[in-house]
Amino acid sequence: MVFPLLSLIVFMPAAGAAVVMFLRNDDAVRWTALGVTVLDFALCIVMLAGFDTTTHEMQFTETRPWVPALGITYALGIDGISALFVFLTALLGWICVLASWVAIDRKVKEFMVSLLAMQALMLGVFCALDLFLFYVFWEAMLIPMYVIIGVWGGDGRVYAAFKFFLYTLAGSLLFLIGVIVLYLHGGETFDILALTAQDLPFRVQSWLFFAFLIAFAVKVPMVPVHTWLPDAHVQAPTAGSIILAGVLLKMGAYGFLRFSLPMLPEASVHYSTLMLALSALAIVYGGLLALAQDDLKKLVAYSSISHMGFVTLGIFTLNLRGLEGGILQMFNHGVTTGALFLFVGLIYERTHTRSIADYGGLMKAAPVYTGFLALFTLSSMALPGTNSFVGELLVLSGAFAANLAVGAAAVLGALLGAAYLLGMYRKVALGPASVDLRFKIRDVNARELVAIVPLAVFVLWVGLYPKPFLDIIDASMRHLLAQVHGDGGAQ
Amino acid sequence: MTAAALFQSILASLPEIVVVAGACILLILGQLVRKGQGHFLVWASVAVVLIAGLATLMLAGEVRPAYTGMFIADPFAVFFKVLFYLATVLTFLLSRKYTEIEKIGSSEYYVLLLFALSGMMILASATDLLSIYVGLELMALSTYVLTGFLRQQRRSNEASLKYVILGGVSTGIFLYGVSLVYGLTGTTQLDGMAAAVTGDPLDPGLLLAVVFIVAGLVFKVGAVPFHMWVPDVYEGAPTTITAFMSVGPKAAAFAVILRVFLNPLVAASDAWIIVAVIAVVTMALGSFVALVQDNFKRLLAYSSIAHAGFAMFGVVAGGADGIASVMLYLLIYAFMNLGIFGTVIMMRNGDFSGEVIEEYAGFAKSHPGLALLMLLYLFSLAGIPPTAGFFAKFYVLVALIERGFVILAVIAVLLSAVAAYFYIRIVMVIYMREPERAFDLALSPSVRATLALTAAGTIGIGLFPAWFLRLAQSSVFGG
Repeated sequence: MVFPLLSLIVFMPAAGAAVVMFLRNDDAVRWTALGVTVLDFALCIVMLAGFDTTTHEMQFTETRPWVPALGITYALGIDGISALFVFLTALLGWICVLASWVAIDRKVKEFMVSLLAMQALMLGVFCALDLFLFYVFWEAMLIPMYVIIGVWGGDGRVYAAFKFFLYTLAGSLLFLIGVIVLYLHGGETFDILALTAQDLPFRVQSWLFFAFLIAFAVKVPMVPVHTWLPDAHVQAPTAGSIILAGVLLKMGAYGFLRFSLPMLPEASVHYSTLMLALSALAIVYGGLLALAQDDLKKLVAYSSISHMGFVTLGIFTLNLRGLEGGILQMFNHGVTTGALFLFVGLIYERTHTRSIADYGGLMKAAPVYTGFLALFTLSSMALPGTNSFVGELLVLSGAFAANLAVGAAAVLGALLGAAYLLGMYRKVALGPASVDLRFKIRDVNARELVAIVPLAVFVLWVGLYPKPFLDIIDASMRHLLAQVHGDGGAQ
Repeated sequence: MTAAALFQSILASLPEIVVVAGACILLILGQLVRKGQGHFLVWASVAVVLIAGLATLMLAGEVRPAYTGMFIADPFAVFFKVLFYLATVLTFLLSRKYTEIEKIGSSEYYVLLLFALSGMMILASATDLLSIYVGLELMALSTYVLTGFLRQQRRSNEASLKYVILGGVSTGIFLYGVSLVYGLTGTTQLDGMAAAVTGDPLDPGLLLAVVFIVAGLVFKVGAVPFHMWVPDVYEGAPTTITAFMSVGPKAAAFAVILRVFLNPLVAASDAWIIVAVIAVVTMALGSFVALVQDNFKRLLAYSSIAHAGFAMFGVVAGGADGIASVMLYLLIYAFMNLGIFGTVIMMRNGDFSGEVIEEYAGFAKSHPGLALLMLLYLFSLAGIPPTAGFFAKFYVLVALIERGFVILAVIAVLLSAVAAYFYIRIVMVIYMREPERAFDLALSPSVRATLALTAAGTIGIGLFPAWFLRLAQSSVFGG
């Protein structure tokens, strides 16, 4: 009997949520939530320390029967693809708690319970090796997220929460049908690895590909099913936005990597051009929309659409550079955009406005804040030396190898990114100080710094020395490519 | 009938006899009990059900056909009877305080519920169209009266009258179908019917008979186009009776539908096409009309129509998995629906009706624990994991897709996405509005116990469905 490390990682936040439910004092709630998430993060580091980067096999696996009559098992395990996201989720977990420390001042207990429940479910999604278990985690996330947006969000929160819920639900339900079809075709098992080994007829693959596509595309989100995202992001509290951008959006892409590509290889290859085109569309369209925003949070939200376009672009180049770039870019986007939402949240706590027009000359009032903001802005536009540069470069080189026109469109998108991000930074941080805000702004305090610095560290670490991160995913990527292109097809 | 056969028959129907006898005794005892001692009646009724339950479980070991083929005590019937006991006991527990508040606490209330229970039990065991008819009428007549129990309210009277008239017509249609079957095959036994018509292309008269029988039965589950009575009756009846009807008699009707529809005669007649159409239309109507309801009970009425539609998909699927999926669905539905009705019943206090959804605004602020329970029931009704409601739907979908009905499965999930909207709208009202008034809840220990049990079922079956699934699968008739 191996020590169930993954179960511990997944269910510790859930246990924390149960404990928090019985606490009466708001501060006790906050400290408990922080303690649980930090401990969880520490466990993740232990896990990564024991992670073998030379194999694509699932590691730390646990299997227990759950519903034997239907071939459902409780199976957890991670490979190179999921390890990175388990780590990212655990990292953003305690940053979210810190980000909500004072921003959430009513119903603190309920908020932390939702946040911790969310944390457990997200970790579960990345660890699940059973399709049914995966679906349970995936769909159950709707409940806490709906509550987080709907109860602690901004003025339009109810509408945003509904839109988020219904979009995602409608997408996932077709996925559910796909899952059941897969189950019946694959010999009545929900074991992801066994299903991956199946060789399905192309017709079935095509249907499943589109059933999965709807679910994953809504989560990513890809144009044209992206319209829930700006609403949800803008209305969600800061921690909600960080979770949405940092982890939730990754799940769609993770779904492509875990299910679409290995289980439906022929369909994936066949429809890859379509996916590339949709990705390029998202990159350019998201960029153009971001260019036109006056609301800081909306700008970051639309930039997410553009950046996630890079991720799906990388994935569907179906070559090694593109795929590794895409995954690295998922991680980068989690760190960078998470940080940007955190920054928007920090400044909003102080000024209660998100309109870019209200800001100006923040540099003088809050030098530390604007300094870090500069770093994350540059990271978001993929300046060399920052994390996104590595990811985008890999994606672009993969994209040019796959399709010239799409590569060109992606470069255009990258240019747009520079335009709206630099424009935003100039208006907010530089120039003459805006009269209204000049005297009120307080610079970041120690608690906020604790949340910011780790993210900054990852920005520079991945930017300057990405090898450890690429090592984690490398073996799994090569194996995935071999599955997609048939054996020996890896490039 | 020899003495031994008679003894066997009595043994097989012992639970039914216990319930009927208990009801008769309570009818007399009830006249002797003084006012203000209503709790005696509650516990006596619960005791009757528990004794019947004990008898059922003790006899559950083997299959016992009885009364020359009109009745059978098999695992299928046991499963449904346990479900009925559960629904009835929980209704008793919910009724205690509610009947006091509404001033309808008389012995007849409990006795009628017991009679309805015995009707349901007969339905679950019936293997002959005539014994089905007897069970159906016993159940229906009791619920007609119970619906009208709020004598002072027009609404309740109207509901009762409507129910009687429409119910009478539907029974008439059913009987007409039965008479056609008898005329054509010379028997009313389900097995005998099947044996009489193997092979040949189906007689149009028989097809007509099947359609009539189908119509009579789907009336009881409130499926479209025989659903018109549901919203009015659900709204007008005492809430406890609404809760009971949405779970017990509905499950009983499904038990009969499973026995009749999966009978080879009906299976050979392509009646599944009718059932499939009914399922789709029922679910669509229930889901869409519920979107615009402001009254909680009416909303739950349409929700129960939608759920009947979903369960009907399991009937369409047929086969062992199809039958088991319907059974599991009904069991899970009993937990979550009694749970949500329990919260509506506990709201009814003083001049507070608890029926308007807006009245629940901000409920989470003052009662976070109870609000969490409501959230649980509502998400379960919407079919979101990890609640039991998800597993119920999931298993029906597996059964459907197994038989190749992928399109029907897609329709089912899309409609359940529509249905999710009105459930989470209530969650929104509870959690995301500011309270307008203080809540004064009628929370007696027995209501608390009901909520605890239903919550445990709703989350427990969701997390550990294996045992319940096996139970349903092993209770499927015919193997």
